[in-house]
Amino acid sequence: DPSKYKFRIMRQNLVESSEVLNEQIEIFTKLVQAHLKLTDSDFGDPTIQSQNVIYAVGRIVPDSPSAEGFLNEQSLSLETSRLNGIGRRIRLKLDNISDTSLFVGQIVALKGSNANGEAFLVEDILDMPYPDAPVSTEEDINLYKNSLKGESAKIVVTAGPYFPDNSLDISYLSDFVERVNNESKPHIVIMYGPFIDVTNSMIMEGRIPTFPHLKVQPRTLDELFTRLVLPILKNINPKIQVILIPSTRDVSSNHSSYPQDSFDRKGLQLPKNFKCFTNPSTFQLNETFFGCSNADIFKDMKEILKGGDISMRNRFDRIAEHMLQQRRFYPVFPGSLRSITVPAKNENSKKIHKHISGVDLEVSYLGLTEFVGNFAPDVIMVPSDMSPFARVVKNVVFINPGKFVKARGARGTHAQISICCPNLEDRKLTKLENDEVLYLHNVWKRSRVDIVGN
Amino acid sequence: HGSNSLQPLETTISDMERFKDSSNLELHCPNCSQQFVFGGVIASNFYQMCYNGLQCKKCEHIFTPIQLSCQLESIIRAHISLYYAGWLVCDDMTCGNVTRQISVFGKRCLNEGCTGVMRYRYSDKQLYNQLLYFESLFDCAKNKKQELKAVYYEGDKDYPKEKLSESSVMVLTEQNRELFEINRAVIEKYLSNCGRRYVDMGGIFDFMTN
Ligand SMILES: [Zn+2]
Ligand SMILES: [Zn+2]
Repeated sequence: DPSKYKFRIMRQNLVESSEVLNEQIEIFTKLVQAHLKLTDSDFGDPTIQSQNVIYAVGRIVPDSPSAEGFLNEQSLSLETSRLNGIGRRIRLKLDNISDTSLFVGQIVALKGSNANGEAFLVEDILDMPYPDAPVSTEEDINLYKNSLKGESAKIVVTAGPYFPDNSLDISYLSDFVERVNNESKPHIVIMYGPFIDVTNSMIMEGRIPTFPHLKVQPRTLDELFTRLVLPILKNINPKIQVILIPSTRDVSSNHSSYPQDSFDRKGLQLPKNFKCFTNPSTFQLNETFFGCSNADIFKDMKEILKGGDISMRNRFDRIAEHMLQQRRFYPVFPGSLRSITVPAKNENSKKIHKHISGVDLEVSYLGLTEFVGNFAPDVIMVPSDMSPFARVVKNVVFINPGKFVKARGARGTHAQISICCPNLEDRKLTKLENDEVLYLHNVWKRSRVDIVGN
Repeated sequence: HGSNSLQPLETTISDMERFKDSSNLELHCPNCSQQFVFGGVIASNFYQMCYNGLQCKKCEHIFTPIQLSCQLESIIRAHISLYYAGWLVCDDMTCGNVTRQISVFGKRCLNEGCTGVMRYRYSDKQLYNQLLYFESLFDCAKNKKQELKAVYYEGDKDYPKEKLSESSVMVLTEQNRELFEINRAVIEKYLSNCGRRYVDMGGIFDFMTN
């Protein structure tokens, strides 16, 4: 519901934030209880000394509030909910666990005991249930099939920045628009911000050149968008639907925290074929559910790994599984920070860390970053600074289209997705028979993703 | 909220008092990379306001409007981002816990046995005041009345060698009115979405009705 994103920013409230963090643990306690068919008495308070083996649900946190940098399996604690352990934290002993991946902010369900009151000895880390996949009725499938006329749905996905760090050369974007209009001709183009990045070093240092081809020079960054970027975006064929998803580093948004409100389409003078969505957002194109989030979880999640088997697996797969199990697009807490080291002005003091940006979580509203309706989208697209990829994890297609332009100005990448038209006759959809006949979309079986150089 | 209504209305606090913790606006010269503090239409060894804009004294480059407004905007955004980094501090002086972790009881200190109360180190009030401080720098009336917070103090090594006469301040402010309005609009873009502004209005309303 986009109207829920219309909140005023710069108004963090510690009590509200903590309520949301508490609620996350309580929601998962119920989920785990139902999934494993446990009774209330199977759960216990892991922070209290007891010989009994109990189940406990909580958040993975560092064992010290001042912990910084890399953590290891010896430096983790479990935070309990208000209800289950009066919010106390207990050190974890993971000696008996052979293969696991944990991260700070993760909600986990553990089995074990606290024999000496000092630590909770973990016997087992329980698998969080994966969310269900979305389904459609026979009627809806036929409707989508007719509207597509049997053709595949073609989607192109890009992610900013669209300028390098050392020039405001926009020619890659205009080349791209040419290609979209004349070669790839997709039904939909999904473009992630940042379009104009407040942390671009030219902008931070004021090194904006004059633009000889512009009659009127832009006086602000908002005008830079309307005079430089907008005319190129307007060249996209009006028959192609364009979806814009902002970044918290976008100049063109005055809502700079995550979850983030959509761009103001009219304010930015975008044409009618443009739709502005929130960050994150979940939406349906024909039968396919897309989950889009512009917070770089693939870069920010720092796992604590134990065991050889898990370490051998692809890191993106592990993070994708974490996201699915946690049922939210950015499950790490506290979120990432980016700072640079600058020499101190005073000769006596050392270098100082200057804050540049971060994921800028609006903790009170993290509920908006959870999977809508408690099911996993068919396709999840999260742009990342890491190398671009497309992978199927637990039957969900995960895509990182890569940056449009690399920092030093080299051409980046975008993603092209093609999804075969849903067809009840070709047996690619799985029929589920309960009270009502429903079909799993199996988009992962019917789609092809190409990461294409710009 | 009995104790709240005894506090002075925010509008009656002087800028000097209100902005005492606000950070300076530090600019880069796009031409020679000199870094300096911008403090409005004042005397400075590093820059001057001339009749057609902000001029670097080191290389004489005159900033284009966007070369100034883009730095102001990226600095505002860095402040908002730092605010969202969510650093907390414990109010117990003997504890000194500084962390980004939040207990499920938000105000509880995570150091064992500490009874102190946690609060955001960068408060929304401080952020709001920071934006108002930036706004004051581009406020023509305040510039003319020379009511801005001082950025250089006597005895500093950067204390300006030359003075700026009152009449020069008046003339230069008027000549840069359009430039200042451009920058004020940039600040207004963020103030208009700032929760604190509405908290303040709510507070005033409560004060009048109670
Ligand atoms: Zn200069
Ligand atoms: Zn404390």
